[in-house]
Amino acid sequence: MSSRANVINRVVLTVLGLLLLTVGGLGLALGLGAFGESRADNPVLPEQVRTFPDGRPWFWWAVAGGLVLIAVLALLWLLAQLRTDRTTQLDLTTDARDGYTTLHANALTSAVEDEALGVSGVSSASANVREHRGNHVFLRVELTDSADIDGVRTRLENEVVAHLREGVGDPRFPVTIELRPGASKTPQRSLT
Amino acid sequence: MTATNWVTRVVSALLALALLFCSLLAVVELAAAALGRDSVLVPYHEWTDWLRTHSWNDRIVQALLVGLVVLALLLLLLAFRRGKPAALTLRNRTDGVDVTASRRSVEKSLAAAAARTSGIAGASASVSRRTARVEARTVALSEPGIRDEVQSAVRGRLDSLGTERRLRTRVALTTKDSR
Repeated sequence: MSSRANVINRVVLTVLGLLLLTVGGLGLALGLGAFGESRADNPVLPEQVRTFPDGRPWFWWAVAGGLVLIAVLALLWLLAQLRTDRTTQLDLTTDARDGYTTLHANALTSAVEDEALGVSGVSSASANVREHRGNHVFLRVELTDSADIDGVRTRLENEVVAHLREGVGDPRFPVTIELRPGASKTPQRSLT
Repeated sequence: MTATNWVTRVVSALLALALLFCSLLAVVELAAAALGRDSVLVPYHEWTDWLRTHSWNDRIVQALLVGLVVLALLLLLLAFRRGKPAALTLRNRTDGVDVTASRRSVEKSLAAAAARTSGIAGASASVSRRTARVEARTVALSEPGIRDEVQSAVRGRLDSLGTERRLRTRVALTTKDSR
């Protein structure tokens, strides 16, 4: 899921909320006589408003244009819900004149997952490449209940991330690690 | 993603669908009217008559406006509500590496740490942006100072995580028999 969609949702919901609040609030104020008792008695759709489009053919074209605009914006809003941050390729091109270099995200994430799984205390690992303000790798690791969190973190940052950065040739390549402590029980060993 | 974000996303998708459908329907109605045909789906002649015969101080109009205001407030609540965080940010050590801990797993981990304390039969935990709350069930005749031990175990677990913001810890004890 895209974190950008969350921002869009908050903005659109705020705009819609304020719009409805203004319309509802003004209508209530009008009905309660805040703008004069005579106005409170006015019909919701006065005659002059109802007849306004008469003799003004541009009016309905403008309304239709506005409606199409709303439909397009609503469609974009709907599509934003389905978009994800994940990407399948990393562009490693340094100079386009020398050619383009791309790296399949799967190749990178599989290597990262394998190395993370080798760290003591990690019971499972999953990684993906996300595109949000530039590419970054998101690594989620589940830790056993008895894992030394500090030790796991040190190895992930000093070894896994270091190798990942070597692999993409960028010593500052951004990485996000999500630790899930206690997500799984320490494997039981039994003596036979 | 947090539950709040899921609710916001579902409501947003439904609202977007409704807006899309209604605006396209209105365009179809406009086109039908322009071609001299009767209304397709919306009885807008009746709606217009209703709006002409009702004034702003009619109860039904005011009830609809109150509904509109309530809907607006719900949308604003959804837009501004932060809810519980999906993950807790941990202190940064390496440049360009952001480390977080999933809230749910931290809750499980804190509950497990509390439950390992001697005299505790079971525990549950909940974590918000500022506070970690642990509810521990003691065996009927618990030793004094058990709260401090649970608090210390929970604190130790949180310290080992190294959260960016130091969380307050709250421990509530209940005896197993009282449940």
